Amino acid sequence: MPSMTPTARADVALGTFAAAASAFALGVRRNLANWPILMGRALFYLVALTVLSALWDKVAAQRVAGALVLPPGGLTLYVGATEWITLSVAAIHLRLEDDIRLGMLEPHLLRPKPYLVQKIAEAMGDSVVRLIGIGIAALIALALSGRALPPPAAFVYVAVLGVFGAAIGVLIYTGVGLAAFWVRRVLPPYIIVQKIWFLLGGLFAPISLYPAWFFGLAVVSPFAASIYMPGSMMIAPSVRAFGEALLAQLAWLAALTVLVALIWRAGLRRVLREGV
Amino acid sequence: MAIVTVENLRKTYRYVRRKPGLSGLFVRDVRSIEAVSGISFEIAQRERVAIIGPNGAGKSTTLKMLSGILEPSGGEARVLGLVPWKQRRQLAYRIGVVFGQRTQLWTELPARDSFALLRRIYDVERSVFDRRLGQLVDQFGLGGILDQPVQRLSLGQRMRCEIVASLLHGPALLFLDEPTIGLDITAKAAIRDFIREHAGAEGQTVVLTSHDTRDIELVCDRVIVISEGRIVVDQPTDQLRRQFLGHRLVTLRSAAPVVALDLPGVVRRNSEPHLSVFEVDTRTTRVDAVVEKALALGGIEDITIEDPPMEEVVRAIYDANGTR
Amino acid sequence: MISTYAANVAIAIRTSLMDRTNFILNSAGMIVNDIFLLILWYMFFAGFRQVGGWGLHDVARLLGITLLVVAIGGVLFGGYRDMAATILRGEIDALLTQPKAVLPRLLARESIATAWGDLVMGVWMLLTFAALSWADIPVVLLAIACGTTVYVASAVAYASLAFWFAGARSFARDLTDFMLLFSSYPGSIYGGATRIIAYTLLPAGFVVLTPVTFLRAPSLSSLAILIGSAAAYSAIAGAVFQAGLVRYRRGLVPTG
Repeated sequence: MPSMTPTARADVALGTFAAAASAFALGVRRNLANWPILMGRALFYLVALTVLSALWDKVAAQRVAGALVLPPGGLTLYVGATEWITLSVAAIHLRLEDDIRLGMLEPHLLRPKPYLVQKIAEAMGDSVVRLIGIGIAALIALALSGRALPPPAAFVYVAVLGVFGAAIGVLIYTGVGLAAFWVRRVLPPYIIVQKIWFLLGGLFAPISLYPAWFFGLAVVSPFAASIYMPGSMMIAPSVRAFGEALLAQLAWLAALTVLVALIWRAGLRRVLREGV
Repeated sequence: MAIVTVENLRKTYRYVRRKPGLSGLFVRDVRSIEAVSGISFEIAQRERVAIIGPNGAGKSTTLKMLSGILEPSGGEARVLGLVPWKQRRQLAYRIGVVFGQRTQLWTELPARDSFALLRRIYDVERSVFDRRLGQLVDQFGLGGILDQPVQRLSLGQRMRCEIVASLLHGPALLFLDEPTIGLDITAKAAIRDFIREHAGAEGQTVVLTSHDTRDIELVCDRVIVISEGRIVVDQPTDQLRRQFLGHRLVTLRSAAPVVALDLPGVVRRNSEPHLSVFEVDTRTTRVDAVVEKALALGGIEDITIEDPPMEEVVRAIYDANGTR
Repeated sequence: MISTYAANVAIAIRTSLMDRTNFILNSAGMIVNDIFLLILWYMFFAGFRQVGGWGLHDVARLLGITLLVVAIGGVLFGGYRDMAATILRGEIDALLTQPKAVLPRLLARESIATAWGDLVMGVWMLLTFAALSWADIPVVLLAIACGTTVYVASAVAYASLAFWFAGARSFARDLTDFMLLFSSYPGSIYGGATRIIAYTLLPAGFVVLTPVTFLRAPSLSSLAILIGSAAAYSAIAGAVFQAGLVRYRRGLVPTG
């Protein structure tokens, strides 16, 4: 692009932001329009949590020599937080796969607003609605369960970190979806990334329980920033931990944004060279 | 004996409109669209009928009801003596359906493999199947392409394979939903010729929906025009022309750049130098009077007398019924 | 009817094998995925030793059966996975104009490449962790057959939601995936309400636990439960699908 004046550049940025905002709103509306599915998802979250808490309660109740010690209160609240975030990440990889594989990119490329920004904004809108819907279900279940509650601040920390955690998830899955430029079907990378996410992010158990060398590996991954850090607010909330987690998340959001932009550029070059 | 009888067939689709905003969560606004509003007609054996109409007129809905895919909201129909939506499977053995926009062939594999599967689905005996396939391949000139993956074929070739697929079980009635859509002229011609000849030879009845008026002209002998869910016209093709456009076109090629014909009911159309086109209102003036006058002028090298193109006819029908 | 189905599935399998690279990527990817699952459980038992009397070997046996259930389901009835999307795209119209039943055609439409990876891993796990003799093979096959029936039937029921809700496409897939995830949890954790759920909504219990119980201690009653659950879930799935098809043929399902 020829060099633009600062005001022109600001205009373009503003326009992109406005378009992204309406894409976000579209994602929100679309999810709300399918509200029976949202309710089904929330119900499903509760079912999953029931099974997982059965597992962890059983582990906590038994005294096995040499076994790791669970934090007091068990892991139910932790898993509640990690599952909440995991289930709220919209399936952007499927939409990207469709658009790329079926050659539906072309009309989007002809439009003046960046395609990927729109798509991500839409997925974020979708995810936010899921976070709220499932979150409400989680809170109701927690209230009814009679379990000991963590301090109110913990909920605030989890809420904030949860939103950013879901955003990290969306960016990760965006990267997976963009693999469609090269591998046509994103299912293999998706399954693998998902499992790595479960493992390094500590979906089922906090990574702090892992052997030290593994913990060191996992904690520096975006997956840990995405779900472990928010989840750990349910075990040991503190302002300091919250602050550190937030910083880590923001750093990862920035890094993933750059990564995704690079992958997109590479994919686009391929498409322009070889056709959709 | 009528192959298809339709009496007062109706289809209303219900859909839910949600109000935008939060009230949309609680307030449901149920709207109905009457896609087909009470249509009646009969089709006899060996007839070739075109069902045409603007988008959303109810053509596809009608076809779906007659092939058993869709249940009507009211009215009756019988196809080959069976009630389509109640005796779907029995009927399926005796009809062939081609969807112009969707394929029933496996795209990654050669058409031959899809045909083999269809043989089993329709329980066709191998010897009968082989003979029929051989005939269809010859008639349609498919020899070289049966062994290529379907996704590598051109649209025209794929369409021909689709039609063959629908004929392998020897159906008595063929439904075609927009069979020539998106095809180039040669491909369209091939398909039209095939349908006409094959159906004629096998004594099949053909019902097709289309936007393309040449499909009507070249394939069908009867036209049913549906608009906004109702039949507005149901006539043999030639009568249609004569009824709706009571004029014929006379084209004169002349030595002189312009020919002037001053007769009542004769209107000059946009013409080129040396080629004059006149619209003759046959209710006012007879065509032979026009020809006589033209010849009397002298210097006429060639005369062509033809019916107006079907497209004009259809447009006139739509206009007459206030549809666009 | 079976021969038609077999012919249909044969084509689906050939199609899935056509793109070699894709096939290898998919099955290898699945093997990697399954190894991760094993790692997760390995780490769990390394940390916690056992849960409710179940150890790593028990879970591996469970996983082996689960993977084989998914493998058979995916190779022979793979159409279940994209069924919701197929319905929502109106692609069953063509099937409705043909003389055979729609559901079998839908199931035989696709053969899932990743399922072969599961097949390899499942066989390996069973061979490594379950002490099997040749005499056990018929029993193992029966157990897997019944488990697969419940699995595919549940997936069909979930996919049939598409006849009612447009958003069912990804949701049905999630439901099926998670049913699987819970199939691989030690049965000893299920008690009370959880047990009810595991044997009804997400019939993980009937997909794997029942077959495993039957394998461990074959008896008339466990056989009855095994076959009975398979029959019951097939009936439910069939009913839900037919109900959905009636809706579709009334024109109540927005497609396109």
